[in-house]
Amino acid sequence: MSHTATQSGVPSVVPDTASAPTRWQGQLGRWRETWRVFVRSPLGVLGLVLIGLFALMSISHPILMATIWDRTTYHPWVGFDYDAIAHPTLPSPKHLLGTDALGRDVFSQLLYATGPSFGLGLVAGLVAVATATTIGVVSAYYGGMIDALLMGLADAFILMPPQIVLLVVGLLFDMDWPQLALIYGVFAGLGGLAVIMRSHALSIKVKPYIEAARVAGGSSGYIIRTHFLPNMIPLMLLNMMFTVAGSVLTEALLSFFGRTDIRLSWGTMIWFIKETFRLSPTGEQWHAILPPGLAIMLFCGAFYMVGRALDDVLNPRLRRR
Amino acid sequence: MLRFIVRRLTRALVTLVVFQTALFLLIQALPGDYASTIMGPPAYKRGLRALLGLDAPVWQQYLAWMGGFFTGDLGNSFQAPTVRVTDILLAQSPRTLLLFLPAVLLGFGLGIWLGKRIAWHRGGRLELGSSLTGIAFYASFPPWLVFLLVNVFAIQLGWFPPENLINANRWFGVPVSVNSVVERMLVTVMIDAGLFAGLFWLTRRAAAPRRMRWLGSFALAMLTAGVWLASGRAIQALDILHHLALPLGTLILLSFGETMLLMRVAMIEFLGDDHVLMARAKGLPDSAVRDRHVARLALLPVLARLTLQLPLVLIGSFVIERLFLWRGVGQALFTAADYQDIPVLMGILSVVGIIMLLAHLLLDVLNAWLDPRLRDATFRVSTRV
Repeated sequence: MSHTATQSGVPSVVPDTASAPTRWQGQLGRWRETWRVFVRSPLGVLGLVLIGLFALMSISHPILMATIWDRTTYHPWVGFDYDAIAHPTLPSPKHLLGTDALGRDVFSQLLYATGPSFGLGLVAGLVAVATATTIGVVSAYYGGMIDALLMGLADAFILMPPQIVLLVVGLLFDMDWPQLALIYGVFAGLGGLAVIMRSHALSIKVKPYIEAARVAGGSSGYIIRTHFLPNMIPLMLLNMMFTVAGSVLTEALLSFFGRTDIRLSWGTMIWFIKETFRLSPTGEQWHAILPPGLAIMLFCGAFYMVGRALDDVLNPRLRRR
Repeated sequence: MLRFIVRRLTRALVTLVVFQTALFLLIQALPGDYASTIMGPPAYKRGLRALLGLDAPVWQQYLAWMGGFFTGDLGNSFQAPTVRVTDILLAQSPRTLLLFLPAVLLGFGLGIWLGKRIAWHRGGRLELGSSLTGIAFYASFPPWLVFLLVNVFAIQLGWFPPENLINANRWFGVPVSVNSVVERMLVTVMIDAGLFAGLFWLTRRAAAPRRMRWLGSFALAMLTAGVWLASGRAIQALDILHHLALPLGTLILLSFGETMLLMRVAMIEFLGDDHVLMARAKGLPDSAVRDRHVARLALLPVLARLTLQLPLVLIGSFVIERLFLWRGVGQALFTAADYQDIPVLMGILSVVGIIMLLAHLLLDVLNAWLDPRLRDATFRVSTRV
């Protein structure tokens, strides 16, 4: 605020809106600070690096297919290598991870399968977090009957963890990954996550600036948009990480048992080896079974690590003294 | 305290009703019913529908479903319509519990033990290494892990059998059923766990607690072995244990990571507290400060979060049962899925729900007993871990 002298000599206090930080600038500053603390934890950085690597893998596949790989040999599901005598073959300079029993390049499959995994994880994560936050904020903000009803619902959904429901429903119906992601997200968001979000929203509700906003005449929608949501984003991000890890693991399990309709994912790769073990024992196909399993482990592990590191960041008492 | 328990129980009952209703809606939402999957003339399908009660109006089916659930009748299996689902589950659950209970106890115990140690020496390679190992196992794909472990321990080294519950040769001519031995082993596990916990509690103020605990554990082990030898079923029990080793090991590896990380987080919250400084100033040994002062407090929020991990361990045990052909509820789940046997599947979901409900109830009561501030609130997460 700048003080300008009026004609009568009495300084008047005029708010100097040009120099005060905007609301989003303040928010960005907080996020920058969060990032700075985040990069101090080795787990978080490792997780981010791994996620970056997987992102690189997924975009490199179409590039490779368009440039150096020819379609007949390297296509993930209809490719066939005519040069080798018998398939599967071990890793060679031509096929970095060898081929599977149907003569398809394992490395190409691995790269292609990264896409559905990202898609599945992100859809499930977003749906879960969106549902949970909506329920949590509405429940906390309006309180009373709505709160009791929504929390009663959440209580019942805690008893239906998304992994188990998805396992049962997935065993009955073969679904593609968007449907799987949707079901996982809905069941994850309606259960324990909703209760967590509600607790966090309650802790925001008692803050004085909420009351100030109401007094200043802010509508409910405005308060929720401007004050609740930005403060819930860190927690949303945290839970999204765990949801991504859980959904990819569950999908891999279902695909392993052959109960999904996904064209190609890491789980289906392992399932295929299981199916073709008669053509060559599973032990001989180690080059085909190790990469997808490792990929699942590193992918889910990376998201989990980022989630854990975010947990460290968001809980100020955990920071190194 | 009593008022809290009563209130919590009523809430649990309401939750149970809502949960069962949601399950029923889930069944109705599944496209097509059992009769549509069977191939046959329409008259046959109609008769089948009438037999299985699928042609009754929805509200009637709902009432039958809820009524049956509360009287313990979960319907009849579609695979063998004279067999009740409840009977199937009761017959299979001892085997699953024999795998699941020790896995939970040992897995969480290992996680807590490791967690408090790595939190105590913050920074450095032990913390990073343990965290990475824990996460690697936690996030690993169970069939892949099973493949690795079976290859190494069962096929290459030959220490453990790669699958199955028993080795039929060792059961030749034995007059008792496998289930009875399994049930007795389960009872042994529970009694031993209780006695072990009691030992720890009784020796908490002893002069040399560690020595007494080791002696006590040794005596307990000898007693258990003696009882089993006297019963004459030692060989069969050992056979089951031999087959249990790999599945149990895999399940423990899959579940210890999360508990370890949570324990570490919880411990670090309390490391700077004044009473810890006081304990150190008093001259207590490091391990005493860590265990009796910090770890005890850290257990609270970790226990609170245990309920969120139980479904993961449960689903892990189902998948492991399937992979090791360990004939329990998990195996029944997959077989039922093969046959589109919806009553069994929904029955298993109900039972899982009830187990989760009981676990939540127990942990809520435990938390409220340990932290009296929670007794008045209805929905509150105790410590933000």
